[in-house]
Amino acid sequence: MRALVIDDSRAMRRIVSGTLENLGFEVNQAGDGREGLDVLADGSVPDLVTVDWNMPVMDGLQFVSAVRANPAYRAMTIMMVTAESEHTQIVRALAAGAHEYVIKPFTADALRDKVGLLGLLPQEAVL
Amino acid sequence: MSTPDTGERRRSSDHRPVITELIDEATVQSIAEDVWTALVGEDEILLPIPGELPADVVSSWVDVVGPWTGTVVLTTGRESAAGLTRALLGDHAPAELEDDDVADAFGEIANVVGGNVKAALPGPSALSLPDVGDAPAVRNPADLCRVDVLWRGEPLSISVQGALPALPFPPSTETTLNQNGVSL
Repeated sequence: MRALVIDDSRAMRRIVSGTLENLGFEVNQAGDGREGLDVLADGSVPDLVTVDWNMPVMDGLQFVSAVRANPAYRAMTIMMVTAESEHTQIVRALAAGAHEYVIKPFTADALRDKVGLLGLLPQEAVL
Repeated sequence: MSTPDTGERRRSSDHRPVITELIDEATVQSIAEDVWTALVGEDEILLPIPGELPADVVSSWVDVVGPWTGTVVLTTGRESAAGLTRALLGDHAPAELEDDDVADAFGEIANVVGGNVKAALPGPSALSLPDVGDAPAVRNPADLCRVDVLWRGEPLSISVQGALPALPFPPSTETTLNQNGVSL
């Protein structure tokens, strides 16, 4: 399984990446939505993308909309991981095409549970 | 017969709440504790005990813009901010922290605390990207909710402070104002 972690905070990228790597994911990182699209355009289409909402250059919602407009990325699962927790924003993210929404702060167990709900836990992490 | 618009109705509905009408210190403290437990470490405790901040402090903050507009500011000593960064990064912390590492991590903590404070306020509201440096001035002491805590024995403050009214121009500023006080 491969994942792409998009967040403008290096610290948060490390935290999310570390959790996903512990679950067996091979992880790439990007610092904003535009960089994330560049990674995808390089041919590295992951099984899971985690994306922050508030970022410079291209925010998470714009990224989700851009990805969902491209049929080549249809199979990709997107999880918003963000401090934005208003109900209307969660609805907007899901309506734009995100599959799951995780509110910061989160624990490693909470992130693992969300990944499990999406059916994306690598086999060794399920056992 | 039409009633002249005196502006009274508009003014009465334009009441902008101050932060103490919307959130209390216990809620801010609880939000901070949740953030610390999840991001900094399960055993990391924020003691609700005021302490004197050292002379060399750094702040991180995010702005909230909505029915209530203001800033959520975290302030602590530079050494504590570095300690927070190491705790946040855990095994991923570099041997020597750069200022940029501290700004990034301390800013992210402000982002998460600010996002959760915003969620406790009336919405819809927007959240800015985090900033790090010298804390924005408190503009209205009545529009301030401040929590002082100790983390690992070091003082840290969390302020939720209103942005209005705007700061007066310093006397030395040679800015021309129109009759409404707007900068020309």
